[in-house]
Amino acid sequence: MMTNQTRKRMLQMLSKPERAAYLFISPALIILLVFTVVPLLATLAISTLRLDIFLKGATFVGLEQFEKLLSDDRFWNALKNTVYFTAVEVPLQIVLSLLAAVYVAKNTRFRKLLRSAYFLPYICSFTAIGIVWSFLLDPQTGLYPHYLHELGLPQLEFLRDPDLAMPSIVLMSLWRNFGYTTIILVAGLQSIPDSYYEAAELDGAGKVKKLLHISVPMLMPALGFSFVITTIQALQVFDPIFVTTQGGPLNRTETVVLYIYNTGFKSAPFDLGYASAVSVVLLVLVMAATLTMNAYFNRKESSL
Amino acid sequence: MNLPKTPSLSRAVAFAAMAALLLFVLHPFVWLFLSTFKPEQELMQYPPALLPERYLFDAYVEVWNRIPLLDFFRNTVIFSVSVMVVSVFFDSMAGYAFARIRFKGSKVLFTLVLITMMIPFQVTMIPLFVEVFKLGLLDTYWGLILPRASSAFGIFLMRSFFVSLPKDLEESGRVDGLNEFRIYWSIMLPLCKPAMVTLGIFLLMNNWNDLLYPLMLTSQTDMRTLSAGLAMFVGQRTIEYGPTLAAATLSLLPLLVVYAFAQRFFVQSVSTSGLKG
Repeated sequence: MMTNQTRKRMLQMLSKPERAAYLFISPALIILLVFTVVPLLATLAISTLRLDIFLKGATFVGLEQFEKLLSDDRFWNALKNTVYFTAVEVPLQIVLSLLAAVYVAKNTRFRKLLRSAYFLPYICSFTAIGIVWSFLLDPQTGLYPHYLHELGLPQLEFLRDPDLAMPSIVLMSLWRNFGYTTIILVAGLQSIPDSYYEAAELDGAGKVKKLLHISVPMLMPALGFSFVITTIQALQVFDPIFVTTQGGPLNRTETVVLYIYNTGFKSAPFDLGYASAVSVVLLVLVMAATLTMNAYFNRKESSL
Repeated sequence: MNLPKTPSLSRAVAFAAMAALLLFVLHPFVWLFLSTFKPEQELMQYPPALLPERYLFDAYVEVWNRIPLLDFFRNTVIFSVSVMVVSVFFDSMAGYAFARIRFKGSKVLFTLVLITMMIPFQVTMIPLFVEVFKLGLLDTYWGLILPRASSAFGIFLMRSFFVSLPKDLEESGRVDGLNEFRIYWSIMLPLCKPAMVTLGIFLLMNNWNDLLYPLMLTSQTDMRTLSAGLAMFVGQRTIEYGPTLAAATLSLLPLLVVYAFAQRFFVQSVSTSGLKG
């Protein structure tokens, strides 16, 4: 219920563009401030506290949590798993997307259809996908181990095998996400003027030459964006693991975000202070990756 | 001059590779759909088969008794649709102001918006949980909707759309004596319906599928969304295979239907995000 007074004041504000602007941006900005900016600062603050999920008796401990990190094998394991996932998944996804994008960028009916199909997994939740893939990869009743067995390979355990669990997660993520980067790269390819290719053809360039000397360089902005966004997402991987292995077997798929969740929310002592310290490491990791890659791709672009 | 033979061979190879990729993408969907009609024993038997020996509808009947699927559906719809509507409204309003009105501090504030776009949710989730708890909003719709009621990406997207509109569109409205909200609402907003639908689809998809966020902010089973609720049920491994697969299928269905009709907007929401990251 608005009183007449405030209604009058609002109308007055709306008659002046500059004042109206503040009114327009305030709902969105207040929400961003309260639910993103404040929590970000609070993460930094909580990482200097000893605080559990019941939020009673917080004590300031300075950098103690970070010191604890240094000697925590499980944290280093999570970091290693995250880097491993990122280092394997990202290049595979970009290469697969690039190959697919080059093929489906042309607007024929069949290729448009392929494009729609490739994007299909991306609109599905990882919960549903995780359910499906853990059935398909099940060592006893799964279809894929069975197919491979028929081909003469040993019966693989996939998600239950400590050495194969992470590669299986990579496979699932690749399956779901490559359509996303394909769409980004298709948009990039389609924005390249045809005249460039025609000019190259006049100079006698073949398909491979055109790909390497026109498509890839002209695609740098889209390619750079794909790399950055995929890396950021990979460093935060949680969903496909939570719904399949839950970090196992032998913690071989426990990633940084999963570790944050496990220490803060899943089991006693629900250590929010320590989980926040791990979050700070994640933030640094993501920021460092983003800034380095942005700088790299910006230099590449400007050197062209 | 290309020899006629080489291109046709490379074309065949490319075609075969892309067809294999298509099979790789579609096979799990086909398996899921077919398996929801298999009787329980068939799902546990070895060797497994793609096609059911008998087709039964049991899983789709049983699933409603095994899982509070109706609750999950209701919660997911209320959460993701509310977020979509409210966020599109707030984001377009802010995007409009940043794009079309000169005001003090607009540059600084917009830079701040771009910076928040880079902050991963995973980094802020612990304080967010504390905040929502302190507000007494854990396990409520408000607690799920409010933190998502605006998005930095949405503001960014709407701003870039409003910037591209021709200059001085607003002037006719000002001459007619409309206030600024009327100008935004009746002149500018109707022009950006495609951008709004694009953003709306983007938000709907992300929130419908989100797992960690609803997992943190809800704990009661009857407040869980599809993603979080099914993940918990699967984690417990207490229900039969048939109903599990039926639930997964049903949880995917609404977005697949929207995708079938509004594919253009799904694709647009992704490709526009890539154009200027």
